[in-house]
Amino acid sequence: MQYALLTYTAPDDTDRAARPIPDALAALLEQPSITGWARLHADGSATTLRNDDGRTLLTDGPFIDSKEYLAGLFLIEAEDLDGALAIAGQLLGQTRPGTAIEVRPVLEGRLRAA
Amino acid sequence: MPLDAVFRDHWGRVLATLAGTLGDLELAEDAAAEAFAVAAERWPRDGEPANPVGWLVTTARNRAIDQLRRRQVLTAKTALLARDLATGAQPPAEAEADVDDTAVIPDERLELIFACCHPALGLEAQVALTLRTLGGLSTEEIALAFLLPVETTSKRLTRAKRKIRDARIPLAVPPDDQLPDRLAAVLAVVYLIFNQGWGGGRVDLAAEAIRLGRALAGLRPDEPEVLALLALMLLHDARTAARFRDGQVVPLDEQDRAQWDAAQIDEGRALLARAMARPRPGPYLLQAAIADLHLQQPRDWRQIAALYEALARLTGSPVVEMNRAVAVAELDGPAAGLAILDRLDLEHYRYFHSTRASLLRRAGRHGEAHRAYQRALDLAQTEAEQRFLHDRLAETAP
Repeated sequence: MQYALLTYTAPDDTDRAARPIPDALAALLEQPSITGWARLHADGSATTLRNDDGRTLLTDGPFIDSKEYLAGLFLIEAEDLDGALAIAGQLLGQTRPGTAIEVRPVLEGRLRAA
Repeated sequence: MPLDAVFRDHWGRVLATLAGTLGDLELAEDAAAEAFAVAAERWPRDGEPANPVGWLVTTARNRAIDQLRRRQVLTAKTALLARDLATGAQPPAEAEADVDDTAVIPDERLELIFACCHPALGLEAQVALTLRTLGGLSTEEIALAFLLPVETTSKRLTRAKRKIRDARIPLAVPPDDQLPDRLAAVLAVVYLIFNQGWGGGRVDLAAEAIRLGRALAGLRPDEPEVLALLALMLLHDARTAARFRDGQVVPLDEQDRAQWDAAQIDEGRALLARAMARPRPGPYLLQAAIADLHLQQPRDWRQIAALYEALARLTGSPVVEMNRAVAVAELDGPAAGLAILDRLDLEHYRYFHSTRASLLRRAGRHGEAHRAYQRALDLAQTEAEQRFLHDRLAETAP
């Protein structure tokens, strides 16, 4: 069963793009149960398109305006929610304080290399 | 549909087995409800089958297959179920007429309760789901017990059942490394149900919690905290008849001990003794031991205070500290108890103010006692409490 892990991070004063993925986290990403991942630029880079009764509205910035922003996502394969939570817990252990990971079961989808 | 006592005893077993097979609690519940409805019609006419649980499970499974077929979502699941049935050599059609009465249905209630009390579900959902699935209470009864609109309860139950299915919350006993925490969560839900029901008189949640506690003790007879929780509930519940007189709360020392349920106290003490034979006392064991000491006359306040101290260390709970203050006041006088209370932050807890008021009164500080009783009355939640506090207020009036 596939789960998506959505990672939310508090803003940091250092440049996110200049900060490499920590070695321990990079090692975790190699495990076969992680089938895909994406690290996102900070929310300042976001542009949002919204369907407003058929009209497309374009705004600068993220859709959800909160202190924490969506910083990345993982796709994982796990037996059940406990398995997914265990992987999410490992990943969370390699993040900065204040980070949150939302675990969502995947209904359907497709993954392929770009 | 009101399920009578016989049905209530079977509901959790049947639902747990179905949930395990179908992996979908909502579907399992619908199918179980249908099977119970068929039973309500046939059993009085044809007599109860020799293996009622097996009969209900088979009948419900057949209904679930029909349901899945109707939904047409099914290829894989139906094949699985059909194979299940085939290995049991049951003809799929009208199988309920010829259920194998000797088939042993494994008891999967423990798996189900661990799913219902999974930390990925909110506490209120855990409580409602446990009462619905294991306890067999209807949505209406659960709503009534918690003074909630039926619609709120119904939505909460539906969301929880769908989350178990969609997020695949396992219907399984957790592995050993997670078992202590997960078991503590299950016990917390059962004890919360018990406390909600204590003297409430609406739906008898205390009796429900004891039923759940008995089921758990039957399924995990070697788990000391499981035995201790059941002991704790039995010892508390044994005093129910004596706790109220003319709609008023009767303090422990003024209760008519002849009204205490002696058999239930004996059962609680026997469980407590079994639990105590294990190393490292947990929070329920300490609470059960304290409940037992409170039933003895005269009360051993030194031991009670020591156990509260151990419990406070284990839980860090200010309410436990408050109870220790009462024991200390009995040993060393009200001033010693008040000194402990003054360190606690329990401003919004009604029993804190009534406890403090009673110690202030014993210390001769009537003005302060009066104000504390007033604060307790402002926070009181039941009429019996209000009446009790009104009397105390009158006694301490300046």
